[in-house]
Amino acid sequence: MTLTIQFSDITKWIHETLNASMSPGWALFSEFVLAGVAMILLVVVLAVLFVYMERKVAGFMQLRLGPHRVGPWGTMQVFADVFKLLLKESFAPFTVDKFLFNFAPILVLAVAFMAMAPISFAPGLQLWDMNIGILYVTAVSSIGVIGILMAGWSSNNKYSLLGAMRSGAQIVSYELSAGLSLVAVIAMCGSLSISDIIASQADGWWIFKGHLPIMFAFVVYVIAGTAETNRAPFDLAEAESELTAGYHTEFSGMQFGMFYLTEYINMAVISMVATTVFLGGWLPFHIYGFDAFNNVMNFIPSWIWFFGKTFFIIFLMMWFRWTFPRLRIDQLLKLEWKYLLPLSIINVVIVAFLVVMGWHF
Amino acid sequence: MSASAVMFYILGALVLTFGVLTVFTRKIFRAAVYLLLSLIGIAAIYIIMDMQFIAALQIVIYVGGIVVLIIFSIFLTHQAGERLPSRLPKHLLWSILLSGVGLLLATHILYHFSYKPSIEPAIEHSVKNIGTQLIDFRSYGYVFPFEVVSILLLAAMVGSIIIAMKTKKN
Amino acid sequence: MRALIQYIKDVAQGFYSLSQGLLLTLKYFVRPWKHIVEQYPENRTTTIYIPEKFAGEVVLPHDENNRHKCTACTLCEMACPNGTIKIISATIEGEDGKKKKVLDKWVYNLGMCTMCGQCVDACPQDAITMKNSFELSVYNRNDLIKVLNKPGSKLKEKES
Repeated sequence: MTLTIQFSDITKWIHETLNASMSPGWALFSEFVLAGVAMILLVVVLAVLFVYMERKVAGFMQLRLGPHRVGPWGTMQVFADVFKLLLKESFAPFTVDKFLFNFAPILVLAVAFMAMAPISFAPGLQLWDMNIGILYVTAVSSIGVIGILMAGWSSNNKYSLLGAMRSGAQIVSYELSAGLSLVAVIAMCGSLSISDIIASQADGWWIFKGHLPIMFAFVVYVIAGTAETNRAPFDLAEAESELTAGYHTEFSGMQFGMFYLTEYINMAVISMVATTVFLGGWLPFHIYGFDAFNNVMNFIPSWIWFFGKTFFIIFLMMWFRWTFPRLRIDQLLKLEWKYLLPLSIINVVIVAFLVVMGWHF
Repeated sequence: MSASAVMFYILGALVLTFGVLTVFTRKIFRAAVYLLLSLIGIAAIYIIMDMQFIAALQIVIYVGGIVVLIIFSIFLTHQAGERLPSRLPKHLLWSILLSGVGLLLATHILYHFSYKPSIEPAIEHSVKNIGTQLIDFRSYGYVFPFEVVSILLLAAMVGSIIIAMKTKKN
Repeated sequence: MRALIQYIKDVAQGFYSLSQGLLLTLKYFVRPWKHIVEQYPENRTTTIYIPEKFAGEVVLPHDENNRHKCTACTLCEMACPNGTIKIISATIEGEDGKKKKVLDKWVYNLGMCTMCGQCVDACPQDAITMKNSFELSVYNRNDLIKVLNKPGSKLKEKES
């Protein structure tokens, strides 16, 4: 274990090398560029994996095999689709509002990237350890809804507009219960910073340590997160059978590709936040008292733990998508305002009571 | 010039540009989008000043709440997609006059305000301190305005429910 | 109080019914060898099953002596709603000196056929029938126009 290279050592080495060769301002700038490139690479790799996984999971759950013609086990199918989108013309109908039409996919994608900034993938592998990490993620991901509204409005198409309005109503309402379920954990650990939240779970993940209230918060968060990413069973915003494709009906080529990519990045952000807050981030799974088992778990690298948990939650969301039928808009709003929101408010009150009485760990 | 100063001037220019565009565009939905970009720029300036909590609240409240509400009300208005009619000369004159007076007043106050240097140590602006200060009833506490605002919001919510409520016809 | 109990009951029942669906799809997911969807081009020669009733194209069956049952009455041609069938008959002189109409060419345009089966119903001799063949596409449209009676085939006389 003495030979282990920590990620913080690598970042420190890059920082020192850059500062030795150029002025601090330019060093900072090149660090920004490096971080951005690293983030884009990570996101693209993750998106390719997610798209492939989605197709395979969908296929297996529907008694099919999924893509299996292009490349071994269909692995090249995603690349084929991406190249097809890249080669297509990004066509804009002539009655659209050109500025907003071209700006909407960029805004949506940029916001999804921004939300990944404070997430800690492994010890030391974090872009920005800010003291309000979780609040920042929820705040930034609330900008995304405006991109969707913009796309729907500027398309000058009634289906796009309807899809955008549904999506807006849905995201704005489900943000409440997602936020409240995060508040439950934040109240227990007493910090908004992502590294503090992970550090507080060293002796047990919150989902085990926090007993029933936190387990309930986890369920609510996964439901609300699925709704926030506009995925089935909450995919009213792009319900194919009613609204052709919702807010991105008029988009083609890579502009459509950006919306498609954004859906997967948003899924990644939701599941990474759930991983960080409820499942202990990059911390390994420990059972108190089983030292041999704990040592084996420690041997697995932390980034594998993090991405393993992330992929588990992504699998949960895919499982929901390929099992449940789509909700109606009134059922959707009823679920949020009559069931999830009151229950999570009661849950937060219970958690606050536990914290004030000092009954939590 | 340091990197943060460069960033500040770029962001300041962006905020001002989008603010001006918000006022002068003749398409109402674009005005909302320019307002959104301007507000995001202000949040970025807060982050440069190391006030991340305020920046996050700026985004949550203004961008996630108010601009979304504005956009929804634009969606529900009639003929929102068309260009607004150009201004009447009388209205233009009055608005130039009023905004000029406002500018003069603001600059006058700014130039004649005596900024007193303080020797007290700066308050730590962590989330915990802000939270404690917000519901503190001792000196410099904000519990009274906090409660007044919450009563106002409750009244507004009850009012909107009553307006939206269907009365059963017997 | 009763409303509250009903509310909790509703939530629990909802979760129970959702979990039923989730368990079913999970069962499918973890047992890929039980998938019922067949891989079409690969199973063309092995496990593929086309039911007998499947209407793929019209055929004019010939027996082992190269004889068919068509009397060139053109009832099928008249029954066809699309003008798919064209019966070209020839007149030959039989051994008893009588002139007799026999089938020369039974022209069938597969490209225009909708497999409605009215020709089969209309045939008084049961000469034509539907076959369960598939993969009938060709590269040239003219290849779809087929002559169904084999060269040199004769009418199969009824054993009376």
